[in-house]
Amino acid sequence: MLLNISTIVFAASITLFCWSCYGRFRLLLLGRPENRFNDVGKRIRGMIYYAFGQRCTVSHGYRFGWNHLVLFWSFMILLIANTEFLLEGLFPDFISFSLLPVSVYHPLAVLIEIASVLALLAVCIAMIRRLAFPPSYIEARSRDAFIILGLIALLMVAFFGLHASEIAQGSEEAASYMPISKFIASTVFSYVPSENMGGYISAFWWLHAIVLLGFLNYLPYSKHMHILTGIPNVFFRSLVKVNTQPREEFKKGNSFGVGKIDQFTWKGLIDSYSCTECGRCSDNCPATATGKLLNPRLVIHDIKVNLLKNGPLIAKKKDMVLPLIGGGEGSVSDEVLWACTTCGACMEVCPVFIEHVPRIVDMRRNLVEMNAKVPDELVSMFENMEQRSNPWGIVPGDRAKWAAEADVKPFETGKTEYLFYVGCFGAFDARSRKVSVAISRILNAAGISWGILGKDELCCGDSMRRLGNEFVFDRMALENIRIFKEKGITKIITECPHCYNTLKNDYRQYGLELEVIHHTEFISNMIKAGKLKLNAKDSGNVVFHDSCYLGRYNGIYDAPRNVIASVTGHAPIEMERRNDRSFCCGAGGGRMWMEENTGKRINVERVEEALKKDPGTICVCCPYCLTMFEDGLKAKKADARVQVLDLAEMVSGALK
Amino acid sequence: MEEEKKIRKPRGVARLIPGKCIACGARCQSDCPEDAIEMNEKGEPVINTAKCIGCRRCVKICPAQALEMYFTPEELKIIAGLAATVPEVVTTVEPGIKEYRGVWIFVEHTEGKPATVSWELLGEGAKLAKTLGVELCSLVIGEKVEHLCQESFAYGASKVYLIDAPVFQHYRTETYFRAICYLVEKYKPEILLMGATGMGRDLAGAVATKIKTGLTADCTGLDIDEKGYLLQTRPAFGGNIMATILTEKTRPQMSTVRPHVMALAKKDESRTGTIVRESMDIKEEDLPTRVIEVIEDATGEQLDLAGAEIIVSGGRGMCGSENFTILQELADELGGAVACSRAAVEAGWMPAERQVGQTGKTVRPKIYIACGISGAIQHLVGMQGSDVIIAINQDNKAPIFEVATYGIVGDVFQVVPAIINNIRELRERKVDK
Amino acid sequence: MLIVTCIKQVPDTTQVRVDPVTGTLIREGVPFIINPYDTHALEEGLRLKEKYGFRVAVISMGPPNTEITLKKAIALGADEAVLLSDRAFGGADTLATSQVLSEAIRRLGQKEEVAIVICGRQTIDGDTAQVGPGIATRLGYSQLTLVDRIESVDLKAKKIRVRRRLEGRHEIVEAKLPAMIAVVKEINSLRYPTVPMRLMAEDSKATLWDNKIMGLNENTIGLKGSATQVRKIFSPQRTSGEIIGDGIKDPKEASRLLIERLIEKRALSI
Repeated sequence: MLLNISTIVFAASITLFCWSCYGRFRLLLLGRPENRFNDVGKRIRGMIYYAFGQRCTVSHGYRFGWNHLVLFWSFMILLIANTEFLLEGLFPDFISFSLLPVSVYHPLAVLIEIASVLALLAVCIAMIRRLAFPPSYIEARSRDAFIILGLIALLMVAFFGLHASEIAQGSEEAASYMPISKFIASTVFSYVPSENMGGYISAFWWLHAIVLLGFLNYLPYSKHMHILTGIPNVFFRSLVKVNTQPREEFKKGNSFGVGKIDQFTWKGLIDSYSCTECGRCSDNCPATATGKLLNPRLVIHDIKVNLLKNGPLIAKKKDMVLPLIGGGEGSVSDEVLWACTTCGACMEVCPVFIEHVPRIVDMRRNLVEMNAKVPDELVSMFENMEQRSNPWGIVPGDRAKWAAEADVKPFETGKTEYLFYVGCFGAFDARSRKVSVAISRILNAAGISWGILGKDELCCGDSMRRLGNEFVFDRMALENIRIFKEKGITKIITECPHCYNTLKNDYRQYGLELEVIHHTEFISNMIKAGKLKLNAKDSGNVVFHDSCYLGRYNGIYDAPRNVIASVTGHAPIEMERRNDRSFCCGAGGGRMWMEENTGKRINVERVEEALKKDPGTICVCCPYCLTMFEDGLKAKKADARVQVLDLAEMVSGALK
Repeated sequence: MEEEKKIRKPRGVARLIPGKCIACGARCQSDCPEDAIEMNEKGEPVINTAKCIGCRRCVKICPAQALEMYFTPEELKIIAGLAATVPEVVTTVEPGIKEYRGVWIFVEHTEGKPATVSWELLGEGAKLAKTLGVELCSLVIGEKVEHLCQESFAYGASKVYLIDAPVFQHYRTETYFRAICYLVEKYKPEILLMGATGMGRDLAGAVATKIKTGLTADCTGLDIDEKGYLLQTRPAFGGNIMATILTEKTRPQMSTVRPHVMALAKKDESRTGTIVRESMDIKEEDLPTRVIEVIEDATGEQLDLAGAEIIVSGGRGMCGSENFTILQELADELGGAVACSRAAVEAGWMPAERQVGQTGKTVRPKIYIACGISGAIQHLVGMQGSDVIIAINQDNKAPIFEVATYGIVGDVFQVVPAIINNIRELRERKVDK
Repeated sequence: MLIVTCIKQVPDTTQVRVDPVTGTLIREGVPFIINPYDTHALEEGLRLKEKYGFRVAVISMGPPNTEITLKKAIALGADEAVLLSDRAFGGADTLATSQVLSEAIRRLGQKEEVAIVICGRQTIDGDTAQVGPGIATRLGYSQLTLVDRIESVDLKAKKIRVRRRLEGRHEIVEAKLPAMIAVVKEINSLRYPTVPMRLMAEDSKATLWDNKIMGLNENTIGLKGSATQVRKIFSPQRTSGEIIGDGIKDPKEASRLLIERLIEKRALSI
C-alpha cells in the first residue's frame, strides 16, 4: 500500500518535472537558428575543462568558486544516489544499490557518504556567506537562493536520517561503509528501541522523497535552472572570442536586430536559462560600477522573464504582452542598452559563457534599424559617418593633414608592404595625431616598407557596428574591403585597437583575411627581432592600462608590457584591475560619441584607480583611452603631475 | 560679308580649364544653343566638340572663367594671319531702363525703433548716388514713424517716401511688400537696398519676385561699374568664394546688405529734405496674416545660443563656476551669449544646454570667443563654422589656436577683464565725442 | 491635403577648400548632400503629417542625379517625390528657380489641395533665402519666414500659427492657409531613417517633370529667366590665424590690439 502510493507520487512528480522541462525546452525552439554544433570534439573538451573541471567558477580569483566546485562534484556523485532513489521509488522491487555486487556497493556507499557531508558543509558555507558577507548584488539573498540551499540541506539531513535509522534498525548491511550515518545511528538513535525504527525509516524516507521531488520540480522555475542548462551552455559556447557581431542580410521584408524575444537565436535564449545569478558580470561591468542603469545580469534575467511570459503566447500564435525593449522586469530599457561600452568584462568572467554584449548589440540594432530610436547626439554622428566617414563630420580631405609633420609616403600598390591604417582619431584629433607621428617615426626606424592611404582612407566603422547601425557598417565595410582589394593591401598596421579588431575580426566575416597588426604588437616584434634599438631609461612610475579591444577582445596583454619594460628598464606598475579583468576607459561601444549623464564618469573611476599607484605616466595603447584618461586627469586636477602617453610615444622618445 | 572672304576665321571649340569649374548650376549648358554640353556627376560640363560651333556663349556666361576657346595649331596660324578687326558687340540696353533713377534705402525698424543697418545703408547709398549723380532717398513705412524721416535726413537722405498708417504697425510681408511695390512702380528707383536682416530678406525676396527684378542677397560690397550697373559683391559657396553679381536688364537693382559691414554714415541733425507722403488702401480684414504677439528675447544670461551673434565660451581653464561671471560680463558688453565646452558642463559649472560641441550645440555666430578652451576635436566641430574665432588660452600649443582667427596667449583672468575695460573705454570716448 | 517641401541638392560647401596657391576651389571629392536647412523643412513636414494626417510631397529642381537626394527624402517618410529637371531649367537665379518650383506646386495642387509649402531658410551654396519668399509671392500664399516653431494648424478655419525668430525677438504670427513656411534649423531635431524604409526607398522612383511636361515659357526659367548675372568669381582674402600681442607680459596691450583688429575687420562695431 505504502509503496503503491509512493510509486504514484514518484511517477506523477517525475512526469511533472519532465513536463516543466519540456515546456522550457520548447520555448528555446522559438529562437532563430544558429549553428553551435561545429567542432564537437573541442566542445566536449571545453565542457569537461570548464564545466566538470569548474575552471570557470574558480577562475578570476573568486574564492567562493571553490565552494561551488565542492558542491558541484558532491552533486555529481549524489546524482547517482538520487537517481537510484528515484528509480527505486518507481520500481521498488527491481532497483536498489544493495543488489549491486559488494565490491561496487561498498566503495559507492563511502563515496556517497563523503559527498553528502561535503554538500551539507558547502551549503552551510554558502548560507553563512550570504548572511554574513553578502555579495554586492541583492538577489544573492533572495528567497529563491535560501529555498534552494534549504532544500539541499534538508535533503542531506533526510539522507543521513534515513541511513542512520536503517543502520540503527540493523537492516543496512553496508553500515560499516557509512561512517557518518553510523555515527548518527549510534548517537542520536541509540535510545530508540530498534523495533520502533521502522517509523523513523519511513518518515525519513518520505522526507527525502518529498524534498527531492520538490527540489526537482522547483528547479525549472528557479535560478537553479542552471543545474540543467549550465553544462549544455558550456558545450554550446562560442569557440572563438566573442569579439564581433554577426552580419545581417539587408533584404526587403527582413526584420533587423532583435525587438522581440523570438528574434534572438536559440543560443541567446538558452543563455538566459543558464544564468546562475552569480553576479560576476555586474561586479565587473564599468557601467554598473559607476551607477548606470545597465546591469548585464539583469539584461539576461529580463530576457528570461520575457521569454517565459511571451514564449507560450508565441507558441500559440497570440500577441505578445511584454515588449522586449521598454522597461520594467522582463523588458530592457533603451537607456540600459545605450549604457554598454562593449568592454566584454561581463563575458570574460561569466562561468557559463553567457554572451551579454551580442545580445545588447542585437537590441541596439533593433532600436537603430527598425525604429530609428537613438539618442539625439547619435543622429548627427551617424550622418557624419555616412557622409564623411568620420564621427565628427570633418572634411575627408583633411585626413592626411597630420602627415605634414612626419616623414610619410603614400601606399603604392605592388611596392609598399604594410599599410599604416591611421584611423579617425589618429588622423583628425590633435592629441592622437602626435601618436600617428610617433608611430611613423618607429616604422621608419624599423626600416620596413610602409605607406598610408591619406585622404582616401575611410573609417573602419567600429562604432557603427557596436552602436547597432549594422546597415551603415555593412556599407562601410564593403567599401573598405573594395579599397583594400583594389590596392592589393594584405598587411595592415593600426594605431587604434578598435580599427584593429574591426579589420581583423569583423571583416573576416566578409571573407577578407588580412594580416592586421596593432602597433604594440608590431613594436614588440621589432624589438624582439632587434630591428628597433632603444635607449632604456627609467622614466618614473609608469602605470599601464589595458585597452579592452586589445586585451580582452584579442588577447594582447604581454606585448605592451614587454615594450614598456624595454623602454623603461622595468615592468610597468599594474593597477588593481588589469589584464582580462581590466576596467574600461568608458569610450568603447560608441560611448565615445554619447553623453554620460548618469552616475559617476567611468573614466574618472579608472583614473582614480590609476592615481592610487602614484604614476608619473599612464601608458595606453588606444586613442579612446588616451582621450578618456586625459579628460579624467583634468577632472581630477592631476594633469599637471601625470602625463598620458601612448606606447608609441614612449618608444619614439627612446629611439636610438 | 565675312562669308565672302576666302579664309574664314576659325571659331574654335570651347573647353574646360581643369580645376576651375565651381559647379554653379549648369549655366553653360543652359546657354548653349547647340546642346553641345552635358553635365557630369560632379556638375562640370563635358563639351561635345563635334556639336560645338564656337559661339563663345558658354565662355562668356561662365562665372568662374572656367571655360576657354581651344584652337588647333593650324587654326592658330590662320588667326595669326588674319589681322581682322572684330567689330565690337554693343549690348543693347532694355528700353525703359533709363526711366529708373535714384538710390533708395529701406529704413528698417521695429515699432519705430530703427535698425542700425539702415543708417549704414544710407552711408553706402550716398556714395552710389554720388557716383551716379542721382538722389538718395529712404523709404519709411510704419505707424507713427515720422521721426524716422528726420533721422534719415540726418544720415544723408534728401527725400523720404513715407507711408504712415495703423495697418503698418507690425511688420508683415503682405502689407510692407505691397507698399514698396506701389512706390517702386510709381517712382521707379534704379537701386533699392535693404538690410540683410530677417525682415529685410523676407521683404526683398517678395518685392523682387513681384516686380520680377534681380535681387542679390547678403552683399558685403557695392560699387558702380563704368556702364552704371550696380556691382554687388557677396560671399558664396559657404564663404569660400566671392561673387560679383549684377542685374542688367531689369530695374530696380535690388540688394540686401549684410549688417555691420558698411560704415555708418555721419549723422548731421541739421540736414533736411522733402517728405513725400503716400497712402495705401489696405484693410486689416483683407490681410492673411496677423501678428499675435511679440516676445522680446531674454537678454544676458538667458540669451539663446541659436540667436546669438556673439558667443563667449568658457572651458576647463575657467577653473570654477564663479569665474563664468566675467564671461557673462563680456557677453553683456557685446550683446552676446555665454556658452561652454563639455568639460565645464561635466564639472557642473554650466548647464548642459549651454554646451557647444559634438554632443552639444553647433553654433555659427559672427564672433566666437573661446576662453580657457583647449580645443578638443569634440568642441571644435561645434564652433568652427563661426565667422571669427578668438582664442584666449595660456597654453600656446592648445589646438584651439589652429582654428582661431585671432589668438591671445595669456591668462584668461587677465585678458578678459582687459578686453571688457577696453571696450568700455572706447564706448565712453565715443559718447564724449 | 498636401504639404510640399522644397529641397535642393547642394555640394557640401563646408568641404570645399580653396587652393592656397591658385586660389581656385578644390571640389574634388566634395559630395552632394541635401541642403541642411531643407532637411529640417522635410522633418517638419513629416511631423505635421504625423500630427494632422497630411500627405508629404517633396520637390527638387536640379540635375538628374538629384534623384538620390529625393530617395533619401522618401526613406525618411515622404509620400511622393518630384524631380524638376531639364536643361532649360539650368543656370537659374532665385527668380527663375521660384518660377519653376511654384509652377510645380501649382501642378501638384491640381490633384490635391496644397495646404503648406515648407522650405529651408536658405541653401548653403547660395545663401540667399530668396526662393521661399519667391514661391509665396508667385502663388499668393501667406509668407512666413524664419519659423522656429509651428504652434498649431487649424484645418477647419484654414489657419496656421507659427513662431518666427527675428533679431532679438520672437513673433507669434497667425496666417491663412495655404502658406509658405521657411524654417530655421532649430525648429526640430532630425530623425534617422529606418532600414526597411531605406530599402523601400532604394526601389522607389521620383516622378520626373521636364519642361515638356511643365510647358513653361523659356524666357521665364533657367538662365534666360534669370534677372541677375554673375560677372565674376574670385577667392576672398583669407586671414589665417594670428597670435596677437603678448598676452602674458602685457594683456592690456594684447586686448587693445584685438579690439582694434575686430573693428578694422568690421566684425565688431563699438
